[in-house]
Parts: sequence; C-alpha cells; structure tokens
Amino acid sequence: MTAQSIHADPVRLLLFGAVTHNTHRIHYDAEFARSEGLPAPVVMVGLHGCLLFRAAVAAAGGDPAAVKSLSWRNVAAASAGTTLTVTVKSTGEVFPDGTASLNLMEADADGAAVCTGYAIVALPAGERP
Amino acid sequence: MRWAASYAAQVNSRSDLDIAEERARDLLQVTEYSTLGEVTARDSAEFARAAGETDPRMTDSDSPDFVVHPMYVVSLLRAAPGRVDEDLRPDGMFRTEVPGTDGLAVRLMAGGQDVTFHRPCLAGDYVDVSRTLIWVERKDGKSGKFLLMTVAKTYTARGRGIIATLNERFIVR
Repeated sequence: MTAQSIHADPVRLLLFGAVTHNTHRIHYDAEFARSEGLPAPVVMVGLHGCLLFRAAVAAAGGDPAAVKSLSWRNVAAASAGTTLTVTVKSTGEVFPDGTASLNLMEADADGAAVCTGYAIVALPAGERP
Repeated sequence: MRWAASYAAQVNSRSDLDIAEERARDLLQVTEYSTLGEVTARDSAEFARAAGETDPRMTDSDSPDFVVHPMYVVSLLRAAPGRVDEDLRPDGMFRTEVPGTDGLAVRLMAGGQDVTFHRPCLAGDYVDVSRTLIWVERKDGKSGKFLLMTVAKTYTARGRGIIATLNERFIVR
C-alpha cells in the first residue's frame, strides 16, 4: 500500500483555481461557502483528481504515462486547510494487456473519506504477465 | 382570464430546479464544441506545480524529459483568454458549465469524474473539446431534491486524434 498527500490550504486552492480558470466562489469565498451550507471553502474536483493521479502513478512505478484511466467520486466535501491523503491498494486484478487495477481512497486530515477512486495502470515491464 | 392566471400560477410555482431539469432534458444528447487552444509546456508545468506535483518531468518545462501533465487539459474549465464578466454566474461558475442552469438560483457541485487517457498530450497540441449531456436524474435525498447530471467530453489534438475522454458528474440543488 502506498500513499500520497497534499496540504490543500487556501493558497493551493487559489493557485489551482487560477491555472484551471475555475472561479467558482465555493472554492475561495468563505461567506459564500457558508451560504451553500458548507463549513468552509472546499477543494475542487480537479485537485482531488490530481492527487489521485499522483498516487496511481507512484503505485505503478513512477511513469506518468502508466495511468490509463482514473475514476473518482466525491463522497464528502473537503474543506480548505485540510491535508488530503490518498492510499492505494491493488485490487489483485491483472489483465492480459499488462495492466492492473487499483482502488484509491482519499481522506482528509481527520481520516474521513472524501473521495473513492479506481485506476487502471500499466504494470512495470518486469511485472507483466 | 381565469385560466391564464391559473397557468401563470402554475408556471410561477415551478422551482428553479424544475426549470433546470426541464432545460437539461431538452439538452440531452446535444453536442457542443469549443477549443482550449494551444497547450504550452510552461502552462502545463505551472498547472503541475499548482497541483502539488513534484516530478520534474511534469513541473519543469525545461526538463529534457518534460511531459505535459496528463490531467492538465481535462482539468481546464476554459481556454485562458477572452473571458468576460458576462460569462459568469453570480456564484462565479461559467454560465454554460452545467447545462441548463444559466440564470437560475441553483447550487452547483462537482460529483466526480471518469477519465480515460488515449494518447499523451504534447506541448504544441491544439486541443478541441466536444461536450454532450448524457444523463439527467432527479433525486429526493435527506437534504432535499437535487439533480444528477453527467456530461461526456472528448479532448482531441488537431491532426493527432483523441487525447482523453471524460465523464463529469454534477450535482444541482
């Protein structure tokens, strides 16, 4: 099992929102977030995806091109300021084309699940069937 | 005139969520096209750093092994230039980001994504996007009624073919 983390502080969210052109107030405007029933601004879906992607790459041996597909579902909002950690577990599935599947779990600093994910990755050459 | 008043009352009793659902159902399977423009190594590297990536192959555009971060183009909401205030909802979202919700007082949240990578995106690629609303479902949960929508996107590099396909889920309350 491997893990990757990121501190999703407000500066990180501002930077990520800027480079992806995401101006939704829910990610940086605390008053607006409260009006939406949230305790604080929340981490954007794309930033979750990038951390899940990084974890899948690491589990596959470090090659960014090894990730063939990545899926995830938000199961709870992650508040700005938390540290997110993705843990990866092999499902045990290995496919004839040399790929394998991974289960991904992203949790906040309190250990609460915020995303669940699944990836198909190419196995390193020495591990292919 | 009584019927007219009754009809008006019925129309007015429709919530913005009702209107969003009606509009979305009319947009099902309708494909729209846009472009993200040219992908640059500098922009992708900036994206990778903002995402917390540490691999210099993705964060350093001068690296001899540089690769465009595979999540870069699928994470972009729009191309960089040309945006004006009129394109945004009061909540800061692009008016057209979630189909059928323009001008309505509904709350929007992302629900997750499914990304398939077909070939690497290269610096210099000119990327076009097609978008189709493929699913609308009304739910009645503990916190009230809401819509689930799924949008399918295809990212194509001109002259090279499909880079990635994406299914993106939205929650509309």
